[in-house]
Amino acid sequence: MKFSIYRFNPDVDKKPYMQDYDVVLEDSDQMLLDALLRIKDLDDSLSLRKSCREGVCGSDSMNINGKNGLACITKLSDLEEPVILRPMPGLPVIRDLVVDMTQFFENYNSVKPYLVNNDPPPETERLQSPEDRAKLDGLYECILCGACTTSCPSFWWNPDKFVGPAGLMQAYRFMVDSRDQAIDERLENLEEPDRLYRCHNIMNCVEVCPKKLNPNAAIAKIKDLKFEQAREHKNKAKKQIEIKLV
Amino acid sequence: MLIELLTERYPGMRAWLTQRLTGLVMAIYSIVALLRFFIIQPENYEAWVSFFQPIWWRIASLIFWLALSMHAWLGIRDVFKDYVPNYVVQRVLQNILVVLLWIYLAWVLWLLLV
Repeated sequence: MKFSIYRFNPDVDKKPYMQDYDVVLEDSDQMLLDALLRIKDLDDSLSLRKSCREGVCGSDSMNINGKNGLACITKLSDLEEPVILRPMPGLPVIRDLVVDMTQFFENYNSVKPYLVNNDPPPETERLQSPEDRAKLDGLYECILCGACTTSCPSFWWNPDKFVGPAGLMQAYRFMVDSRDQAIDERLENLEEPDRLYRCHNIMNCVEVCPKKLNPNAAIAKIKDLKFEQAREHKNKAKKQIEIKLV
Repeated sequence: MLIELLTERYPGMRAWLTQRLTGLVMAIYSIVALLRFFIIQPENYEAWVSFFQPIWWRIASLIFWLALSMHAWLGIRDVFKDYVPNYVVQRVLQNILVVLLWIYLAWVLWLLLV
């Protein structure tokens, strides 16, 4: 099977180049990662990240024939030859298919992706009703592979400002968590014009997500929450005026 | 509630919502304009002048143009932010855009009033 792979070693190469490989695969080689490991047997200078090899860790996300995805769950039979592999766009390349994800995780951390609850910890766990728990479905499954964020042009142009689909989906995941108490702060946190509103709904994130999640819908729901927040502020202000009048 | 979202308290939402509301204004105006066009079917210069004669239509046209200017400012400002990495050049282009939009607005005012 024929492959064309992006190669760049900053210690040796002045600029990146594409290297062709023609490898004989075994019957057991079903996924792209299998083929990449076969290539690595032939040329151990090729660098890539991998870990769980079953679409759970998100390490081997890369650009496959122009579309971001995970090598370990991409079937070889679905790919056109030559298979063109590049690192995920929009992030600095460390070497070959390995990118520096610092900016991605900085953006993710900026939304405080953890529960904020100031109540004294209960003796056991903080309970949720099945209905409240169901609100997290389609959100908590994100594996932070970065496929969505690095296929988003708004992130390419404003990586230090626009949080990106992955980070925004996690922001929403904690906003709708019944155990979280910081929804107002979370909404304020995204009010700076370029953090949330740079999303122009082009849906690349939805198209590439290897877990079939929908960050775009989560972003739209954050905007809905903004409306609810404004409505609550208005109601509060009304009540305060009524109290003063009484 | 919409008015609160258009205040400085919500800088991000304000720009986003303004773009949607101005888009809505332009869509409504366009539909009415098309309907009027098909009903009146102006065929010469005089007919076009009378098309824009009613005062309510002039006011609607002015509101449309104000909406268009705001919509264009927000949209093109974002395009400059994305594609012009040099901050000084970006600001120069934004200022040129503002001047152009004011000139167009003055021109529209002149057309509608004279």
